[in-house]
Parts: sequence; C-alpha cells; structure tokens
Amino acid sequence: MRVIRTPRYVDVEITAACNQRCSYCYFFDNPEVPYHDLPLGEWLSFFEELGRCGVMRVTLQGGEPFMRGDLREVISGVVENRMRFAVLSNGTLIDDSMAAFIARTNRCDQVQVSVDGPCARIHDATRGRGSFDAAIAGLKRLQSHSIPVGVRVTISRHNVGHLEETARFLLEDLGLARFGTNSAGYIGTCRRHADELLLDPALHAEAMQALVRIAGRYPGRVLANAGPLADALTWRKMLDAAGCGAGTFDDGGRLTGCGCHFTTCAVRADGVIIPCVLLAHMEMGRINKDSLEAVWNNSPVLAELRSRSSIELKDFEYCRACLYSPYCTGSCPAMAYTQSRRVNAPSPDGCLRRFLDSGGRPEDIP
Amino acid sequence: MKLDDAPVPNPVVVLREESDDWAILFNPDTSAAVGTNPVGVEIWKQADGTRSLRDIAATVARRFSNVPEGASGEVLSFADELARDGFFGVAEGAEG
Repeated sequence: MRVIRTPRYVDVEITAACNQRCSYCYFFDNPEVPYHDLPLGEWLSFFEELGRCGVMRVTLQGGEPFMRGDLREVISGVVENRMRFAVLSNGTLIDDSMAAFIARTNRCDQVQVSVDGPCARIHDATRGRGSFDAAIAGLKRLQSHSIPVGVRVTISRHNVGHLEETARFLLEDLGLARFGTNSAGYIGTCRRHADELLLDPALHAEAMQALVRIAGRYPGRVLANAGPLADALTWRKMLDAAGCGAGTFDDGGRLTGCGCHFTTCAVRADGVIIPCVLLAHMEMGRINKDSLEAVWNNSPVLAELRSRSSIELKDFEYCRACLYSPYCTGSCPAMAYTQSRRVNAPSPDGCLRRFLDSGGRPEDIP
Repeated sequence: MKLDDAPVPNPVVVLREESDDWAILFNPDTSAAVGTNPVGVEIWKQADGTRSLRDIAATVARRFSNVPEGASGEVLSFADELARDGFFGVAEGAEG
C-alpha cells in the first residue's frame, strides 16, 4: 500500500498524569515508558508543525487530558493550526466552563468518556470510588453544550453480566447516539489484575451473545473495533466460510489486522514519537527535534509495521494447521507484542482457534 | 459561480497533497473534505481572488496534457462544488 506524505491523524498523550488508577489501564505500568510531561511551549511548537503537515485531527489523551491546567491553551494551539480535535477522558474533571470552551471552538469531533456500567457499583469496581457519579456529571455537561459525546465500555469480569442495563442506561437514559465496546486486554496495569478482569471463554461467549442481541435491538448504535462484539461478527463469518469451504478472504491469510500505521501515528507525554499509543516502547523520534514528515516516511519501525500485510499466517506454527487462517487477519500488533514480544506476529486476542481450543464452542458464537 | 468569477479560497481550508496524484482539501470548521487530482490542486493553487475561472481554466489547459475541449465547464463544476461546501468564496467587485 502506498504511504501518504504525512499522517492524517495524530494521537497525542498530552499528559502522563491521571486522577484515577483503573485496574485495566493500558497506559500505566509499562516498564519501557518514562512517565513525565512536556511544557506547553513544546506542544504549541509541535502543533505548528502538524499544521504545516496538513494533519486533520489530533486526539488528545493521557493519562487524563483534563488534568492539564493549560488544556485550553493546548486546544487553542490545535485550533489555530487548522486542525480538529477529539479528547479521550474519564470525564470526571469536566466542569461547565471547560465544556463551554470546547463547544466554542466548534472543532471538536468528540469527547469520549469511559463508562463501564449502569451504576456506581459496577463502574467504580474497576475505576475507583466516586468515579461513576463524576463521569456522568461530566458527560452531561458536555451534552448540555451540544458537544458530540462518545462512550467506550470496556468489558471485564466486573460488568460482563450487566451489558443489557449498561446499553439501556447509555442509549435510553442518557440519550447517546451510540457507544463503543472493547474488552480489557493483557497490557499495562491490567497485567497485574488479569485474573480479576480478563474474560475466560465462557464469559467471552456470554459477552458476544449479549452484545449481538443488544446490537440487534439498537441497530447501528453499538460499535466495536475489537473485543467480544467485533470477535462475534468476525468469527461468525469465519465459521460460515470454513463450513462451506469458501476461498480466502481478500484480507485473509496475512497480517492485515491493523492499518493504522498508514494514516496515524502517536506521541507520548514525554514527546517521543511512537507508531501507536499501544506500542509505546517503539521510539521513532522526538517532537521538535526530528521532523515528523521524515519520521513518517523513513522510520524503520513504521516500515516494519507497514510490511505486516505481506507476512503470511502459514509462517506461524500455531496458524499453519488452522482451518480458519484463510479468513483471519492476525488482529492487533500491539496485543501480539504484549503477549509474545513480537509485533509482526498474530495476536492471541481475537484468535478464533484459540477460543475454540480453550473451551469455546462454535455454537457460542451468535 | 460563473466563468468570470474570481474564486477566493477560504483561508482555513487545508490542502493535503498526499501523493503525486492525490490530494485532499479539508475544511476544519465543517469537517468537509474533498478528494482531488493534480488538476484540482492546480485550480486550488491558482485561485487567489484575482484570477477568473476562465483564466484558471486556460492555465490548466496549458499545464496539463490531454485536456479536452470544454474543460472550462469542468473547472466551473469543480469550483461550484467547492463553493457549495464553503471552500471558495467570490472576490468582491469581481466581474461577473
């Protein structure tokens, strides 16, 4: 695939500070990452470069972006350089004045707030006491200023039995247009709490069935790029294809599972340019020292990731005899890395054969 | 728009030349984006509020090979699309 001259989107970890310590957080507890922040001036200079590169959207994340006392100046820097922005947040620090400021910029694609249950008892189990009430208050302040609000539900053992109520709460009580789902993955802080959080095959099956049912009830309003809903939709197609001996899918049989590195890169809170926030150890350069355009076009790290799609699944022992490999894309390189220390390998997450080998059944997949 | 109009680019619009044969015009105020080829890029770059669409069409015909007769109609159509989405305005006092 041809590489465009500059990234369209840049994910910026604008701070390493956070007021919460969620048990499934991907960001903290990465031994390969130093956690410290840059002063405002560094970010403003970088945003000027992004503007010159024609970047279309910056996604501000952390840590918790609203921990930065100078977030207004950060956002103004994005806006003044002719870009749009999104914010990923826990929602707990958004006051009315900040919501009004964001609305006035008229450049916000979305503020995404994490909501992991329909009530404090479930949400706070992974995110800390008091976080549900504060998150919902912040979310409502955003809504009151007509800011597009997204919600991400991260599914774990704590909330897997409450997905119906969660969907009703988000879509009916709060009136959200839609929400996204994912599941806790073996990365960052979650590695220390894996037994408490990660879904076993039976719970994964329960989540898939519930989410497919919910998605049918609310068409187009329940989204997933990964996690149980995405797995259910993908695995059902793979099972059906294998069942009738269909030919290889267009993107199947090779590591095509992620194309982000063709459009997007990221920057850590300390200013190090990385391919993705989930691959924070893969240092490619430093902002205001290295040219982003040069990094984007010449980084061997990106070249390696972009070459993934030419790697065939049959090159991996576990996949070689897999009935489903002609229909498989190998899933996320970051999750492959956290579990195998290899980026250019298939991820155990999202692996249909592994699900079946570990006790899942085809009839569990709706 | 008319051929004698001199389009003025909206200064907030970003031209992303992604490759030798593909570019995106992006309006961050509205999220509107238009994909275009090198001819569209040339039209965008020529539009400075002083050149009419007729002049721009003539420049395009000179700079690109195999430009068909009646290309000014396509230039006008492209400019109309950009004006409709807020990428172009018309210079005040321009003839037309």
